[in-house]
Amino acid sequence: MTRFLVRRLAHAAFLLLGVSLLAFLFSTLAPGNYFDEMRLNPQISAERLSALRAEYQVDRPMAVRYARWASALLHGDLGFSFAYNTPVAPLLWTRARNTLLLTGTATVLVWILALPLGVWSAERLGRPADVALSWATAVLLIIPDLTLALGLLVLAVRSEWLPTGGMVSVGFDGFSAAHKIRDVALHMVLPVTVLVAAALPVLLRHVRAAVAEALEVPFLRAAEGHGISRRRLLYRYALAAAAHPLIALFGFSLGTLLSGSLLVEVVMSWPGLGPFLLEAILARDLYVVIGGVLLSTLFLVTGNFVADLLLYWADPRIRSEAAGR
Amino acid sequence: MSTRSRLLLCVAVLAALHLGVACAGFFAPYDPAAQDREHPYAPPMRLHFVDGQGGLHLRPFFYAQALRSGSFDAYEENRTRAIPVKFFISGAPYRVLGVLPLRMHLFGGDVPVYLLGSDGYGRDLLSRVLFGGQVSLLAGLIGAGLTLSIGLCIGAAAGFWGGWKDEALMRVAELFLALPWIYLLFAMRAFLPLAVPPLKAFLLVIMVIGAVGWARPARMVRGIVLSAKERDFVRAARGFGASGGYLLRQHILPETASVVLTQAAILVPQFVLAEMTLSFLGLGVPEPVPSWGNMLASLQHYNVLVSYWWMYLPALAMVPFFLGYLVLASLLQGSRGTSKIGEVFGGV
Amino acid sequence: MEPVIRVENLVKRHAGRGFGRRAPGFTAVDSVSFSILPGTTLALVGESGSGKSSLALCLACLERVTAGQIWFEGRDLAALEEKELRAVRPKLQLVFQDPANSLNPRWAVGKIVAEPLLVQARIAKRERDARAAQVLERVGLSAEYLERRPQELSGGQRQRVAIARALILEPKLLILDEVLSALDCSIQAQIANLLVELQRTYGLAYLFVTHDLRMAAHLADEIAVMSRGKIVEQGAAEKILRHARCEETKSLLGAASLAPEAIAAVRER
Repeated sequence: MTRFLVRRLAHAAFLLLGVSLLAFLFSTLAPGNYFDEMRLNPQISAERLSALRAEYQVDRPMAVRYARWASALLHGDLGFSFAYNTPVAPLLWTRARNTLLLTGTATVLVWILALPLGVWSAERLGRPADVALSWATAVLLIIPDLTLALGLLVLAVRSEWLPTGGMVSVGFDGFSAAHKIRDVALHMVLPVTVLVAAALPVLLRHVRAAVAEALEVPFLRAAEGHGISRRRLLYRYALAAAAHPLIALFGFSLGTLLSGSLLVEVVMSWPGLGPFLLEAILARDLYVVIGGVLLSTLFLVTGNFVADLLLYWADPRIRSEAAGR
Repeated sequence: MSTRSRLLLCVAVLAALHLGVACAGFFAPYDPAAQDREHPYAPPMRLHFVDGQGGLHLRPFFYAQALRSGSFDAYEENRTRAIPVKFFISGAPYRVLGVLPLRMHLFGGDVPVYLLGSDGYGRDLLSRVLFGGQVSLLAGLIGAGLTLSIGLCIGAAAGFWGGWKDEALMRVAELFLALPWIYLLFAMRAFLPLAVPPLKAFLLVIMVIGAVGWARPARMVRGIVLSAKERDFVRAARGFGASGGYLLRQHILPETASVVLTQAAILVPQFVLAEMTLSFLGLGVPEPVPSWGNMLASLQHYNVLVSYWWMYLPALAMVPFFLGYLVLASLLQGSRGTSKIGEVFGGV
Repeated sequence: MEPVIRVENLVKRHAGRGFGRRAPGFTAVDSVSFSILPGTTLALVGESGSGKSSLALCLACLERVTAGQIWFEGRDLAALEEKELRAVRPKLQLVFQDPANSLNPRWAVGKIVAEPLLVQARIAKRERDARAAQVLERVGLSAEYLERRPQELSGGQRQRVAIARALILEPKLLILDEVLSALDCSIQAQIANLLVELQRTYGLAYLFVTHDLRMAAHLADEIAVMSRGKIVEQGAAEKILRHARCEETKSLLGAASLAPEAIAAVRER
């Protein structure tokens, strides 16, 4: 068991290292950097510029910069933002929190909807109800995120039912606690709807396929013959048998918690990690970009790792295969 | 209907859609860059068949729109003059495939006809959607082609060579898969020069999109090559003294054809979307060249969102293509439908 | 008479995979020696896992030998580079067990049979097709089979195609790796007879690899019994069949229901 854990951890660490290298490489090889842009600004004196450059050690060779950055990283220090002139980590964290609020809610909703619907649909495979649901999900599938997000925005603006953009209304700080919650929740409706609409059809199809396949398995027929109730059969047995691909998907859901909502956040002006990173990219704020990319990769890698662990725990075949080595 | 005929139908429809966009010059009434300062943000004009007196006309007509006096964005129809739609008229010159100069357009009128309305500079939205489609679709197609080529080469090499070279290549592929692709896309694009002329920007976008997605196709190709390598007919060919290149060309790579085609059907719409996203955010093809993405960028302004709803229409242009490619991909995959589509559309 | 092929102390070891104790290596072929005279058949008999298929692949130069020599036409094949091997390969061909696997399902029979010519020599297409038709006829298939796909043929017909393909380069030695095992009983006899006839016509030497002693009895002049990588018993076919000494041979004999007529048939050859 520990061998397995250690191997997966080493794998994850390797991935993170590789990604950080890649990210660092990209950004340092890029033509133009923050300081070149600043040089064009007449308000900043030449001495200030060279002082700043020395401070950020821009002129050292790349390997040295990477080494320093990597060692700082291990101490939890993600570097300094040129644009905001503050450490990167707290900046990222505030934004990441906002993103997680959105994607976390959307993910929970998607799974709550997809599991029962998928099981229900698999039960009635091929019958009118299932076919209708398949068509509905197909329609959702065809509409690209961008189209959906913008479309909902246009509708919201014209109907004036929901706030259109941002996370909080004007005067938020003066609201009562309950009002604050309601305010944020209202602002969340549109972006969460888009996220759910984007992820639901895919997940639903997968659940349906996995459960349908599981329902075919002989041991389930045998169980039915023993008189086990339909409901128990569906949820405890069929779903468990279908677990393997679903757990992998769940790991994927976890993994994309930070990165999957970038577009939606930008369109809906939600103050999350996405728009923040975009802004940093445009401003060539090196350490913010690297920190952000690393953070979302961390989530992806962790998501996969958690999925691996869950699979190991859930699927005895993997355990025996790992033990047999 | 058999799968084969369904497939042919699907391809035919997709081809027709692409052809329509390729002949944008013909189907579009105006030049996409032609500005009309007298009709900024004109709403879509309605075609009528029945006139004010209840008379039915076979040839559709419309009423000219003009700015209401004193207003800068409210239009009213001038119902005194019915302007018939003219078909196959001569209009702004254009080039088919950049080579053949023509002037014939499908339809037009004596006064400006804005079927989908116009934008802030008075440019016809329909024309811009059609020409923008050329940019976006081409970016998607070439990008997908690039990704698949890279993926095919690397996957085939890894699978064929085996050993440490295979391990190394697959580790690199894993790295690319571990990065959230949207961030990778943006980071790559943004770290290249931002302010470039449209053609260069277009090429950069294609390059970036193409370089991002190779890992998944590479892994799939590698799997196929690995198993194909062990087939007896490949060993038999080795027994006649066939070289590695011969084996790859004649026996192994043909086995990858179906996977590559399916991946193409899946990747093209994804990449079109990627271009749209990049352009929407200002990292893609810049003005004045239209692309479905940058045409939507104006929607980020609140007043546009509120008052000029037709500016949203370019977002819908993608949908029939998406549908076509989705159906194509699921047909190509046969009964194994769910697995791969979900994997890709669920957010790479 | 000079043997067509002489194998000396051949060793084939599969390396262990993964670091440390994951999958230890093992020796498939452990110092095997034998020779085959021209125009004769040596049957290599053993259970699955005895190493006979590994040996066959080594002889056909489709796997690299760990140690030992393979003397063929005065040269040690085990020591040759791929480039030099290319010239030798036409003379020594392998026919695989399962024609469903050894024939490319996307190709027409004519192309399959002519493939060795395509790979080895620069011959015009017309000439290639002519030779393909010729060799197909020799194995009992008419020219109309040229355009067919493997899926349209029966198991026996497919194996004939595989044999034809191996023959087109006019080899001296054919390595037949369990070529009858995948076929129905009635068809086995047909193909076996075809092989005997071809041997007589062309003076081919055969290395006939099989687990079925009965088949070996039908075709072989000499039999070598293999078990766990080593040859445990070797000699003239009749001697082995009548006076088997090793346990393995005896159990193989027991497994194959040898009718007295079969033993007599061997004696007649």
